[in-house]
Amino acid sequence: MPVWQRIYEEIDNPDFVIICAAQDTGGEAVAGPIFDAAGATYIQIVDENHRISSLFNFVNVPSSAWIDETGRIVRIDEGTYSQIHAISDGQETITFGNDVYTPALKDWIENGENSPYINAPEQVSENIRTHSKEQLKADAAFCLGNFFRVHGHNDLADHYWALAQTLNPESINFFRQNLTLTEEGSAGNTFRQRISEYISQGKDYYRPLDI
Amino acid sequence: MAKPMMAFPQLRHPFTTSALHPPGSTSVLYQGKTLTLSTTGADDELLIRAEDLTRINGFEVKAEGVCLGDLCIPLQDTFNVTLADQNWFNLSAFARFIGQPFVADTQNRVWSFAEIPAKRESTLSAAMAPEFELTDRKGAVIRMSDFKGKKALIVTWSSW
Repeated sequence: MPVWQRIYEEIDNPDFVIICAAQDTGGEAVAGPIFDAAGATYIQIVDENHRISSLFNFVNVPSSAWIDETGRIVRIDEGTYSQIHAISDGQETITFGNDVYTPALKDWIENGENSPYINAPEQVSENIRTHSKEQLKADAAFCLGNFFRVHGHNDLADHYWALAQTLNPESINFFRQNLTLTEEGSAGNTFRQRISEYISQGKDYYRPLDI
Repeated sequence: MAKPMMAFPQLRHPFTTSALHPPGSTSVLYQGKTLTLSTTGADDELLIRAEDLTRINGFEVKAEGVCLGDLCIPLQDTFNVTLADQNWFNLSAFARFIGQPFVADTQNRVWSFAEIPAKRESTLSAAMAPEFELTDRKGAVIRMSDFKGKKALIVTWSSW
């Protein structure tokens, strides 16, 4: 988040907006402090029901779409890392992200349709995932689970979240959000095993960055 | 192996138990909003008063059909139900007719509706950003259409 704020300030263009949506069923309690710590001045949404992911057919975070002045999508569904990040627990360091996405974004803001980083319409269409009726039903089940969760009815919440994951096994978001309720958390061995299976099945949770 | 990353593990369960809605009420979830209806019909179908339809999904019952803007769905016999001398609009039958998935917990009287497929497909298939309405942290309503004339980066993230 702090990096997005820095980039937003560097771009400093009144005709550019960042709409940043936390996919967090924990709501303001968990997402708000992170926005605040970043000193975010861009548009901040706490999206408890993962609606942005549903509407744009994203399956993982961080994902993004570039929308031009006419409302047309010109890039979509990539692992949206603003820089190379490194996380260390003192014993092991994990790096992820890239250093090409931000320059490409800045080029698009500067050059618009002349930017080499916008995708051709057919590429954009290819990168937009389909969202079947089963997956739509999964969204409804997920929201129903959230409703029970926020009212403290956890057995019912678990039931409908499980249904959501059954109906939409492609969603890494549903899977990981559910893992946040476990001691292991959303990035432990269960997650790693699932990602390994996902990849071995030939699935992608981000479209190729191709920059 | 690096430790799992989670920003606020102490907030895994930030919610306390509370009533879902007043006794006898029904909750309808659609597009991130929750509407509590004080009066509904039978339990196995979602029977609502016609005037509540617009509050739920923007549709309106007219002589020419069930309409949202220029879109009008012809009225079907299954949409109208008379029960104990009261006329009801069968929202679950309407959803099935237009192919809108939903999940209901009828025991607790909570109905959750997915996006209407026809509305989604017409935008994304043309690579146009879908319209949405969400409230930001300042309480302002944010719509995609508010940003016509600007470039927008929409980015998702999570604390987990």
